Amino acid sequence: MSASKKSIEPMLEDIASQIRGMKSDSLALPDILKLADVMVVSMRGFFDQLDASIYKELTDVSAFINNARSEIGRLQPANLKEKHFPEAGKELDAIVQSTEAATNTIMEQAELIMEADPEDMEAYHATVQAGIMEIFQACSFQDITGQRISKVVSTLVHIEEKIGALADVLGSSIEEVPIEETAEEKRARELLLNGPALEGEGIDQSEVDDLMGDASSQDDIDALFD
Amino acid sequence: MAVDLSMPVLVVDDYKTMIRIIRNLLKQLGFTNVDDAADGTEALAKMRGRPYGLVISDWNMEPMTGYELLKEVRSDDQLKPTPFIMITAESKTENVIAAKKAGVNNYIVKPFNAATLKTKITAVLGDF
Repeated sequence: MSASKKSIEPMLEDIASQIRGMKSDSLALPDILKLADVMVVSMRGFFDQLDASIYKELTDVSAFINNARSEIGRLQPANLKEKHFPEAGKELDAIVQSTEAATNTIMEQAELIMEADPEDMEAYHATVQAGIMEIFQACSFQDITGQRISKVVSTLVHIEEKIGALADVLGSSIEEVPIEETAEEKRARELLLNGPALEGEGIDQSEVDDLMGDASSQDDIDALFD
Repeated sequence: MAVDLSMPVLVVDDYKTMIRIIRNLLKQLGFTNVDDAADGTEALAKMRGRPYGLVISDWNMEPMTGYELLKEVRSDDQLKPTPFIMITAESKTENVIAAKKAGVNNYIVKPFNAATLKTKITAVLGDF
């Protein structure tokens, strides 16, 4: 572009100086068209180069979109939404229901045993035997629950693998957008706990006792917050 | 002075099974007058209706958590002296400290057994 630009510059300057010398009301249309023609010639090289760089950019963007679309296709979002998520939800609901039912059965039997009158030895023995049998049967929920949990874990692993592959394709181009915390989320974060800790996490009863014992004065407690 | 086992005890938990477990444990320990509430709001209303000799509360409840209940109790002149034991499934140092700072009398980590419950009640109320 620089060579053509050099050869055209004197022509442009020449036309421009002619136009500068004219009165504005005496500008002829051929002069203006001539200037426009020279400008088009001078800019063609620039646009040619621009087209090539834009074309490359667009090709890269197209390849990126195709790759991402292909990965999203492998993710099978419709399958996740219509099959995997609902099934995992149903399994978890079933786990909650079965553990609740089993707990109720076990507690009912334990309460019956606790309240049985040991004075009547025969009736007491029968109540205890029947209660123990019911408790054993109720404990079978653990086997079924274990199988249900395995299915949910498989679904989570499946989703993790698919999203991991998608993240690899998108790579560093993903800009993590900060999520604004809702009032409900803020309250939950500040006031509600996150549920049971896993083994090795959190602190146990003896450590809690130490904290309750050691931090015996308000000053001690305040110092822990500094 | 011996603990009056007929004094009203309030168990606060949004999980019915846990209320049932604590009720049965208290019964085994000899307490005969156990009441319950499903969250801090209900507990506070009950506490303002009658005096309780002991409150045993879960932390994680909505709409009012056990921690909020504790702070309400400690800021109310009439309810302030009520012994308060917190029970939670999650035990983080900062939570224990926050509860202690708010005036909790003792703190139990789930799961717990009758012996732990008895030890903590004894630490708060004395031998029984």
